[in-house]
Amino acid sequence: MKKSILIISLPVIAIIFLAVAQTVLSNVLSTSGVEVSKISSEIEFYKTENLLLKEKLYRQESLENVASRASELGFVKSKHQLIISPTRTVLTRILSEIK
Amino acid sequence: MNWRYRFVFSLLLLMFVAILGRLFYWQVVRASDLYILAQSQYGKVLQITPKRGEMRTLDGFPIAANKVSYLVFANPRQIKDKKEVSKIISKVLDIDVASISAQLELPRFWVPLKHDADFKTKKAIESLEIAGIGFEEKYTRLYAEASMAAHLLGIVGKNDEGKDKGYFGLEGYYDRLLGGKEGYIVKIQDALGRPILSKNSENKTYVDGSSLILGIERPIQFMVEKKLKEGVEMYGADSGMIGVMNPETGRIIAMASYPAFNPGEYSLLSEDIFVNPFVSSGYEPGSTLKPIVMAVAFEEGVVDPDTKCPICDGPLTIGEYEIRTWNDEYRKGSNMVDIIVHSDNIGMVYVAQKLGVDRMISSLTKFGIGNLTYIDSQGEIAPSLKAREAWYPVDLATSGFGQGISVTPIGLLTAFSAIANSGKMMQPQIVAAVESPTGEVSRIEPKALGTPISEATAKVMTEILVTAVNKGEAQWARLKGYRIAGKTGTASIPVKGHYDPSSTIASFIGFAPADNPKFAMLVILNKPTVAIFGAETAAPIFFSISRDILSYYEIPPSE
Repeated sequence: MKKSILIISLPVIAIIFLAVAQTVLSNVLSTSGVEVSKISSEIEFYKTENLLLKEKLYRQESLENVASRASELGFVKSKHQLIISPTRTVLTRILSEIK
Repeated sequence: MNWRYRFVFSLLLLMFVAILGRLFYWQVVRASDLYILAQSQYGKVLQITPKRGEMRTLDGFPIAANKVSYLVFANPRQIKDKKEVSKIISKVLDIDVASISAQLELPRFWVPLKHDADFKTKKAIESLEIAGIGFEEKYTRLYAEASMAAHLLGIVGKNDEGKDKGYFGLEGYYDRLLGGKEGYIVKIQDALGRPILSKNSENKTYVDGSSLILGIERPIQFMVEKKLKEGVEMYGADSGMIGVMNPETGRIIAMASYPAFNPGEYSLLSEDIFVNPFVSSGYEPGSTLKPIVMAVAFEEGVVDPDTKCPICDGPLTIGEYEIRTWNDEYRKGSNMVDIIVHSDNIGMVYVAQKLGVDRMISSLTKFGIGNLTYIDSQGEIAPSLKAREAWYPVDLATSGFGQGISVTPIGLLTAFSAIANSGKMMQPQIVAAVESPTGEVSRIEPKALGTPISEATAKVMTEILVTAVNKGEAQWARLKGYRIAGKTGTASIPVKGHYDPSSTIASFIGFAPADNPKFAMLVILNKPTVAIFGAETAAPIFFSISRDILSYYEIPPSE
């Protein structure tokens, strides 16, 4: 008699436990949608911010901008080039004398 | 068994089979329909537009990137005071009131008000807190360097469905690669439209566009464009173009055309300006073709550098045509070196006649004249050579000095680069590598188009071209201390079966340093007015750019 009661009550307890667990979990999950929505919009916001900052950065880095800023600051292109031939340096002369 | 039991059992069995059949119908036969119906009830389908791949120069700078823009739309049924809203919105969007008002009067739930609005505009409208106005975030092209390499890049316009599509240049050629694949996500939501944490069903085919890493060197491109603009303005030319290529690999280092345009403002411009003339226009190259014809003649063994020209002592008459030199000066007993150095048309007629029509056609074809170079840019053309039977004696004669034959600038630069690359002709390539959305980089290996001349012929021709620079008409502009090989060109422009007597195409083609070329360059000025000869216009631009490129590559003078 006791054994048969145990056999019947175990599945019943398990069913009740699982039903409660599912209710609790569903409850938690259903309300987390608001959180998900918040996080998603935050991600979107930062993605947009990132792109806007990149846009600013690219514009600042552009040679067009660098050239116009340089010109505003009074930089001019050098008209003379100084080319140092490797055979004429003091160091190479000394090194060749040592050899 | 009692018949009653049998009856009940059969009835139950029948009902069970009926239920099974019905379940099979709904769960297997109509499963897909029900799935879609269910999704439409609890799911929200979000279309994902893939991010278009960027285009970066060799230094990693995104010359064509993506920026956030917004489609401003309205729900006219939610807007009560349409007149007032039209007035306010039109000011912020910088659109006339009538257009906004007309849109808001439409009996619809959704009307677009402005495409490609920027972030500031969006913020300004949001601060007005007008009910019924919304935004859709999109990506549009950002050209941080404005018009730089515009002809090379092409434009991103719209297709028939209003979706982004690349046209012209690289945008057109690599459109599918850059554009990626569209997809959608189904977001599960509750009755109030709030998302529910669940596995999103995502279309697996969604792929962002791949990025292109160009062989373009941004500082050189910038400098080339600046000098081209100055040159066109200084010499009063209609337009101009320059191409710089690495002869060893075929990599395009810089390519510019002037007038240029800002690809971000393509909708305001005429379509003609988007065509890259360096790959999509043919012209008669004039004297810049002479080194190719002479190299062919050396290769075929019909002449050598010491061969004397027996007909170079005066003008030449072929049929009803009289052929003269560009300056009407004639040098009796000129050899092949003198002919190139002084750009002698009569000498080149002699060379062409020695070659004959068949060898001329086959050799020019080996150099790719009349064929595509297969450069990775949309819209390349290949002006074809005349059919064998259409070659008259005068055609053979004029082909020797580059008239009566049409080439594209990229075709000529590719052919000429073979001389710089020991006779090996490389396929011009703008893109050096492709980067997938996951960051994998695939290099594009250089590809040879053929070997039209031997290494020995290329060496001889290089020496002659160095002499042409040092002793020819453009010697005044040459860069002292460097061995540069080059040739001037002043071509007549054919108009309705005749040559225009008042205008020319002035050009200069060359490579440097002559002994280990790092670049080959072609400079073309269309109809210069201040001076008409290549030696006076295109040559100084060529040497000025060469000086800066050699300095950029840190190549010291050799002499």
